[in-house]
Amino acid sequence: MEKIAFAAAACVMMGCVTGVMEGLVAMKAVESIGKNPDAADKIQSMAIIGAAISETCAIYCLLVAFLIIFILGR
Amino acid sequence: MKLQTTVYSILIVTLFMALLLVYINRRLVKFDPLSKPTGIVLLVIMFAEMIDKMVTEKTNKKIAKYLTPYIMTIMAYIFLANIAGLFSLETPTSNYSVTMVLGAITCILIEVYAAKAKGRKEYIKSWFEPFAPFVVLNVLSKFSTLLSLSLRLFGNILSGGILMSVIYQMLASVSELIPVIGKFNIFGVIVAPVLHFYFDLFSGAMQAYIFVILTISFIGKELPNKQGEE
Repeated sequence: MEKIAFAAAACVMMGCVTGVMEGLVAMKAVESIGKNPDAADKIQSMAIIGAAISETCAIYCLLVAFLIIFILGR
Repeated sequence: MKLQTTVYSILIVTLFMALLLVYINRRLVKFDPLSKPTGIVLLVIMFAEMIDKMVTEKTNKKIAKYLTPYIMTIMAYIFLANIAGLFSLETPTSNYSVTMVLGAITCILIEVYAAKAKGRKEYIKSWFEPFAPFVVLNVLSKFSTLLSLSLRLFGNILSGGILMSVIYQMLASVSELIPVIGKFNIFGVIVAPVLHFYFDLFSGAMQAYIFVILTISFIGKELPNKQGEE
């Protein structure tokens, strides 16, 4: 049981990289809006798309963790 | 066969959505175009303008005419489904069947618009690009679109729901330390509304927006020279 908990925790831990990277997306978006305020609408939608797509990785981590808990830990 | 518990909440949300749409239709039919819009009519007009602007930006005017109603419906449905947790229903989008159906509709739409834009011959050829054995990878990439679209919505909403239930259990065990009124979940009442605001309202609206904007941009990606025509 403990092994399964460790496996799930390690799996979710991999998703923490996504947090840093989404922060980078937001950082660059804010920077470029500061440089070019007229394009704020386009930059905003692009930033949201980029963040959403890179978030997929974290979601897969979460999903695998759920699978580990609910299937192996039964 | 045992029914999943989310089936009832799916039915309730869908029924509510249908009644809401019928009500809005009645109001819009009665609405005099020359008078000042108020209340729900104003809200619907603003919503339609927002979506129409979003769709026209990514695709062209001809497609926007057919795509906007679908996008509006799907955004309203996902938002209503995500905030169903506030009304003590089980969230329909935390059931994978629902999100997979939504993702499948989007994927089929992407293929239909790609086929329409490229022409039938070019479309079939595009499956075998850059050369013939790549057909396997192309099929896989179509499926990965479906998987990532549906799993994103599902994972976000499900993780919010699971976190909320874990927090409720934790706060219940904390408030049991208070001697007399410990059986009543005091800390839960104080702490949970803020978290509900984030996990249900903010995350729900955000996920609906992300699903919609990804749908639009995936469809817009398939269209040729969308930058050229103004």
